[in-house]
Amino acid sequence: MRRRPVSRTAAWALRLALFAFCAFPLYWMVVSSLKVSHELLASPPTFWPHEWELRAYRKLFYETNFWVYFKNTVIVSALTTVIVIVAGVIGAYSLTRYAFRGRTFVARMTLLAYMFPPIIMLVPLFLLARQLGLVNSIPGLALTYISFSLPYALWILRAFFQSIPLELEHAALIDGANRAQALAYIVMPLALPGIIATSIFTFIVAWNDFLFALVLIGQDELKTLAIGINEFFHMAVVDWGLIMAAGVMVTIPALVFFIAVQRYLIAGWGAGGLKG
Amino acid sequence: MLTFTLFPVGYNVWLGFYAKHSLRATSTWLGLGNYTQMLADPDFWRATWLATVYAVGSTTLQIFTGVAGALILHQRFAGVDFLRGVALFPYMIPTVIAVFVWRWLMNDLYGVIPYVLGTLHIPGMPEAWLTHATIMWVLIVLSVWTFFPFVLVNVLARLQTIPPELYDAARVDGASAVRQFFHVTLPQLRNVLLIVLLLRGIWMFTKFDVPWLLGFGGGAGEAIRTLPVFTYQRSFTYYQAGMGAALSNIMLALLLMAVTIYFVAFPPSEDENDA
Repeated sequence: MRRRPVSRTAAWALRLALFAFCAFPLYWMVVSSLKVSHELLASPPTFWPHEWELRAYRKLFYETNFWVYFKNTVIVSALTTVIVIVAGVIGAYSLTRYAFRGRTFVARMTLLAYMFPPIIMLVPLFLLARQLGLVNSIPGLALTYISFSLPYALWILRAFFQSIPLELEHAALIDGANRAQALAYIVMPLALPGIIATSIFTFIVAWNDFLFALVLIGQDELKTLAIGINEFFHMAVVDWGLIMAAGVMVTIPALVFFIAVQRYLIAGWGAGGLKG
Repeated sequence: MLTFTLFPVGYNVWLGFYAKHSLRATSTWLGLGNYTQMLADPDFWRATWLATVYAVGSTTLQIFTGVAGALILHQRFAGVDFLRGVALFPYMIPTVIAVFVWRWLMNDLYGVIPYVLGTLHIPGMPEAWLTHATIMWVLIVLSVWTFFPFVLVNVLARLQTIPPELYDAARVDGASAVRQFFHVTLPQLRNVLLIVLLLRGIWMFTKFDVPWLLGFGGGAGEAIRTLPVFTYQRSFTYYQAGMGAALSNIMLALLLMAVTIYFVAFPPSEDENDA
């Protein structure tokens, strides 16, 4: 189709606008974390710094509990992801492969749970956690994340398992494989993209959560990044360079992860995968 | 799995009838006491109103931005894959970081956006944005930035499945680009937009971390004390767990009502099962 130059220019202007809208805040975060203090607070602000320094990162690494928070977040996210995936794969498999009474009902309930906003469970989960002694504990926090990411992990995984033809499994069973072998050698390899996508979504839920960490964790050495970084605002003078540096450090793992598995992510998204 | 979801909900309903301290083990039966007290509290009504403004404002803008973004990224041009990646970044960034970055961008003294807006000399443009009068705007824009990729991805996925023959037919009939959008694209997007609108509406109405992190490190938090923030404060600042539970129940009831009305008003058409 031929296009007039005006509409071509307009199209590029729109693309550029979208790019600026999405990328500028990130650019500003990175640049701010690298500016020297007086330039950071200069008016008018400099869009390209005159001087660069790593002061904020040095302060972040050596004068705060950043690495403790980082370690806690990795542990709690990993724990959540592993348990959700194991339980989710078993659950989704049984939802798609075995006929039992109320199967459709369970499937609908998972959709409801997917929509379900976690804040509504705030008070009961907190009181339960207290009664069970799960306050100020990393496994307790992981358990909370599991309780609300499992339903929607099931929801996505179910869609993936449904797309795998039953005939393949039947063929394996006829060839003498048992159920477990059929699951391990036929279904799992085919469902792998779905499983990877689901693990990412689950990981992100735990990695990003603020609310439950805020309520359940009080001890500084158990804090996750989200609440730990929030503490930086309670310093006598708010150090924006430090906060932006923390932002960069928290964003990098998420981005690296994201770029590495982008292909799978899009597949999962198509199946109705994200929440937040 | 059901016990994980249903048990807390049931427990919550039960708690709503009690006066319960968040940390102590005692509880007193109040019947509907929490509810009558809540309905008489102007702060509750204000919080409900603010949550509605926030949910409607940010959801509408997310849908517009998301659809516009999806249409831009549906075209073929050099660098489209790169731009698709960039457009998803805001969603991948932890909420806490997104809010802090925006607090810095909009900072009353050193923020780059107020500075740039200031240089435009638009009459009536506020100088500081994180104030009582304008913080809701910041909250909405920041939420659109963070969450519009959700709409974008879902719409883009659907756009790619629209058969090109539909456009060919429209073009043969002499339809302009605008008419093609309204008569071909939009009807095809109906189902996915309905479900995205519902999900985003629910999630924005119940969003706690964004308004809390934006408002309660600064002074103007009052102006964005939405229902979830109000609930959190009742439960953990005033330790009124019973009241907190009652407020959560109200939110749940409102949502169930919204979902029901929604599906009665807009039944998803049967022939497609996307989104």
